[in-house]
Amino acid sequence: MAGMMEPARRESLLTALRVGSGILFFGAWQLTAMSHVFSEFLLPSVPVVAERLWHDLVSGDLVSGIVLTLIRTFIGFALAAVGGIILGVSIARVPLVRWFFDPLVSAGLPMPKVAFLPIFMLWFGVFDTSKILMVAFSSIFPVIVEAWAGTQNIDKYMTWSAMSLGVNRHRFLWEIALPAALPQVFTGLQVALPIALIVDIVCEMQMGGEGMGGSIMTDMRFADSPGVFAYIVAIAIVGMVLVKAMEITRRRLLLWHQETQTA
Amino acid sequence: MAGISFSEVRHTYRPPRGKPVLALESVSLDVQDREFVALLGPSGCGKSTLLYLLGGFIPVESGAITVGGKPVNGPGRERGIVFQNFALFPWKTVRQNILYGLEKQGMAKVEREKRTQDLVELVHLKGFEDSYPSQLSGGMKQRVAIARTLAVEPEILLMDEPFGALDAQTRALMHEELLAIMRRAPKTVVFVTHDVREAVYLADRVAVMSARPGRIKEIVDTKLKSNARGEELLQTREFNDRVDHLWKLVRDEAIRAQGAHE
Ligand SMILES: Nc1ncnc2c1ncn2[C@@H]1O[C@H](COP(=O)(O)OP(=O)(O)OP(=O)(O)O)[C@@H](O)[C@H]1O
Ligand SMILES: [Mg+2]
Repeated sequence: MAGMMEPARRESLLTALRVGSGILFFGAWQLTAMSHVFSEFLLPSVPVVAERLWHDLVSGDLVSGIVLTLIRTFIGFALAAVGGIILGVSIARVPLVRWFFDPLVSAGLPMPKVAFLPIFMLWFGVFDTSKILMVAFSSIFPVIVEAWAGTQNIDKYMTWSAMSLGVNRHRFLWEIALPAALPQVFTGLQVALPIALIVDIVCEMQMGGEGMGGSIMTDMRFADSPGVFAYIVAIAIVGMVLVKAMEITRRRLLLWHQETQTA
Repeated sequence: MAGISFSEVRHTYRPPRGKPVLALESVSLDVQDREFVALLGPSGCGKSTLLYLLGGFIPVESGAITVGGKPVNGPGRERGIVFQNFALFPWKTVRQNILYGLEKQGMAKVEREKRTQDLVELVHLKGFEDSYPSQLSGGMKQRVAIARTLAVEPEILLMDEPFGALDAQTRALMHEELLAIMRRAPKTVVFVTHDVREAVYLADRVAVMSARPGRIKEIVDTKLKSNARGEELLQTREFNDRVDHLWKLVRDEAIRAQGAHE
């Protein structure tokens, strides 16, 4: 059992497994490509895509695409994070706000936000503002929901303890409610970030304006399938790095939390 | 002055779903200033509820509770409470938990650091100052909760089974510490416990509660004449008579509580 091993050995085994799954995936891709079941246009081989990736990296196209996409993603995500936390906490603590937003959030949460894309294009155009707002709008819901639930369900006895130690209403929010809700709020952010990336790339594909999504569409128009595949791989890597970074931040930030303690 | 008076206090819980629960029915009890009263009674008889009402955490709906002659209206720093489930702040270390109340009081930094260190030593947690609650055992958490409450030096101490999670030896140590604190800075204490011997040992009087709905069934004077302490006191006839008497009362109620559930 992995759970019974000493941490260092377990860690290296897990790394080996992860690398293994990558090797297996690219191996299967390469074998399929070499079998010529699909034409080279439909499924370029791994070395071709890798070479293309390298070429775009050296030329700087890839980096500028990634940077542009990440800037839009992060600005949209930051708006969603701040707005979502403020809204979620207000919903949990102010009855009037709850009365107003409860049905709206329930309706908005399961809604495919990309459906609003045409409307956002009409309202805000096809440039950065429009994309960023679309990203924020799409990724704000999980943040609202988790911040709401987190600040709503604070342990009664912890609240009472703080009250009897002399906290006032205003400080309570900062000193007790938010730290207590942090694990759940962070879960919301962890759900929101990949959504932000996805929606930004979809926006770039629909509206143009460069970035990784824009580059995919350009390569597509030029029937440049290695280029399309290269960007898909790049997007996957960027997404993976973001998710990992969030996990590491979580562990740092929630050192105190049960989940972080060694078993 | 920190005398406490309950007069005909009644409390009904009204869960959002399910039917109302009558937890307390006409509880009347007077606790003198600087008196140590223990509450004994079967599980579910309303002991914690009584403390929450006195703490001002849940509103008194029927009857009256006064502290120093003034009706209870919300929580106050003069009434410190140790909760049955500790209720520590999990994102704060042991030190930060204890410091919190002192910060709220606006105590100077040097002074509050010193007080915190003293309390850490008092509850035998030296070396764990920077641990988080999730890294501590149940008994250790309980001791942090006690230290956190003692830190702000409340006149009235409400304790809900504060030693329940401790082993016999640590518990005996904590008994002596508590008594020592009381000698240094006498407080009015309402102390909930299931342990009859603990109640007799610590308290001036023991109030036995009936099975739910809780009432005060009998109040037993446990201020012992003997000057013996510790192990010695536990051997005295006087001590053991009180324990036997209380045992019978508690057992009867426990049986009644059982019957009510079947
Ligand atoms: N929030 C609540 N909602 C509904 N009923 C409750 C609530 N809290 C307590 N009760 C009920 O009130 C009664 C008294 O509860 P309380 O916690 O005061 O008992 P207790 O004497 O402290 O028990 P124990 O010794 O097990 O801690 C119980 O029967 C319980 O079911
Ligand atoms: Mg209780």
